[in-house]
Amino acid sequence: MTAAPVTFRPAAPKNRTEGFLPPEGVPISFAIASLGARLGAQCMDVLITWLAVLLFALLLIWLDILPFTSLGALLLILIFLIRTPYYIAAELVWNGRTLGKRIARIRVISANGRRLTPHQVTARNLMKEVEFFTPATLLLGAGDLGLVSGLITFVWVVTVLIVPCANRRRQRLGDMIAGTLVVENPKPALLADLALAAPAGPARFDFLPAHLEFYGRYELHALEAILRDPPKGAAAQVEIARVADAILRKTGYPGAVAAAEKPEFLTAFYRAQRAHLESRQLFGDRRDDKFHKTQAPSRKP
Amino acid sequence: MMAPPNPASPNPASPDLLRSARFRLEREPGWRRLETLIGRAESAGMAGFSYDEARDLATTYRQAMNSLSVARDISLDLALLTYLETLCARAYLVVYAPQESISGLIWRLFSHGIPCALRRSAVPLAIGFGAMGLGFFAGWLLSVQDPSWYFTFVPPDTADGRTPAASTEYLRSTLYGDEGLAGDALGAFASYLFSHNTRIAILVFALGVFLAVPSFVLTFYNGLLLGAFFATFAQKGLGYDAFAWLSIHGVTEISAICIACAGGARLGLAVLLPGPFTRRDALRHQGRDAVKLVVLAAVMLIVAALIEGFLRQIVQSAELRLLIGWGVGAMWLIWLLRAGRGIAENPL
Repeated sequence: MTAAPVTFRPAAPKNRTEGFLPPEGVPISFAIASLGARLGAQCMDVLITWLAVLLFALLLIWLDILPFTSLGALLLILIFLIRTPYYIAAELVWNGRTLGKRIARIRVISANGRRLTPHQVTARNLMKEVEFFTPATLLLGAGDLGLVSGLITFVWVVTVLIVPCANRRRQRLGDMIAGTLVVENPKPALLADLALAAPAGPARFDFLPAHLEFYGRYELHALEAILRDPPKGAAAQVEIARVADAILRKTGYPGAVAAAEKPEFLTAFYRAQRAHLESRQLFGDRRDDKFHKTQAPSRKP
Repeated sequence: MMAPPNPASPNPASPDLLRSARFRLEREPGWRRLETLIGRAESAGMAGFSYDEARDLATTYRQAMNSLSVARDISLDLALLTYLETLCARAYLVVYAPQESISGLIWRLFSHGIPCALRRSAVPLAIGFGAMGLGFFAGWLLSVQDPSWYFTFVPPDTADGRTPAASTEYLRSTLYGDEGLAGDALGAFASYLFSHNTRIAILVFALGVFLAVPSFVLTFYNGLLLGAFFATFAQKGLGYDAFAWLSIHGVTEISAICIACAGGARLGLAVLLPGPFTRRDALRHQGRDAVKLVVLAAVMLIVAALIEGFLRQIVQSAELRLLIGWGVGAMWLIWLLRAGRGIAENPL
């Protein structure tokens, strides 16, 4: 924060959200699931289904109730069923969440924000044959492929991989045909309010409005992240002290703050800064970050 | 209902609390209630909800949406905002995008969904059956002129000794033998046929999205095999018997592959000739009927596998084989051409 003053805002991440406006008139948004999460969910599904079939087969062999040929027939059917049919059934029954997707905390939703229809589920999973299973099978046996078939496989895999990377909503071919999206589905967790964490009794630190004019929402949220996940260990104490010193220097807070008091100082400053920014916001003065003074007031509603 | 998160449990009315902290303390029990309700709705569905729970879901959902709207304006507590955004997004899906009822789906699909989709697909069907027909003629003509073409088309493990060099007696025995299968082995054979053929059909369909070319090529190749195979038998004077042997299951099975190819062709045509739409919209539009065609192909392949696995081994007379094969074919045709006429197609 000292040597080279940052004169630009940190680059905003590319907008990977999909917004809907429910009849209540409050816009809500879903974060588009990352490709890593989707691949992870897919691998998890493959693993789970094959394990289930394997265990079932072992159980049948152990019980020895079926003749060998019937067992083979049953397994053939099962191996067929854990390809496309499993995904269609799972997404129908659990409303867009296969077992792997549940573990990865993602789900399929309809791109129009309404319910997921059986047609959509079927369409997106039929395309999985071309987008995942067949290329994966070919790649597993890639060593035996000739030049031409190797080249075709390569082009195929690259095409299939490019499609979800090339559009903002990360739709694969099946998603486009079905009109679906895969979004993150995190579990809501309400963390404690930091403003209540300040100790009771007479306030140790007293901030004047002049001390609170410097920072904006971005810095407040950064401070909140530090306070929520307090670093541990000696090196971490140094970090806390650095943050506290930077705030002291920038705001020109008069009193001296002992090293042991610095975490407490940060909590008190967070509360005071939040109270100040929230009241400014109520008056229509929205401060996005510490550059708010050098810019025209935000015109956001 | 839930213990407040802070052990001190501050009084919401206390004036020295931040406005946003007071806001949160007052509303938190409602959010917690909504959280438990949507957790249950997501895991077990809303069918098991009591009257009170259903009412609470509606009220707490609206309250949470309201809280989100207010919190965006008055609160700078990132944890609170993230929580409310997540909670409301989940609740929105529970309220406005619940699980589609599956009951009646199968009946709708078979009574008019699939037949209507098929009747709207004249051009793609022409492409599918055309690919198979062209392949058949090419394979047949080439093999008649020069039997060595047979070895080019047919992989040796598929041929199973049924080559132009084989004796007439051997070829006849492949048509009328029971292939040494009996009892449950027939079932194993049928299940192999079904899973193998359906996978091929899905592949033929899904590859159609690459401009329909791979679907066409795969179907054409299937036709080539068929033509070469048929020519081999025909040249030994077994044409009639081979035709009967193929007909009993082939009428259904080969039609199913052609229909899957037609489904693929619909996707390919959407990409090639999107008309006034964007390619993405055209794909979504054509996908409706294309998917129904594949479902039809899968159903036909189940029937074909049963016929091929059981009936073809049991029925040994050429006339009966012809009758069964084309009889089943006629039934498919009647269903697909007659069912659901006059019913306004509502999208599934």
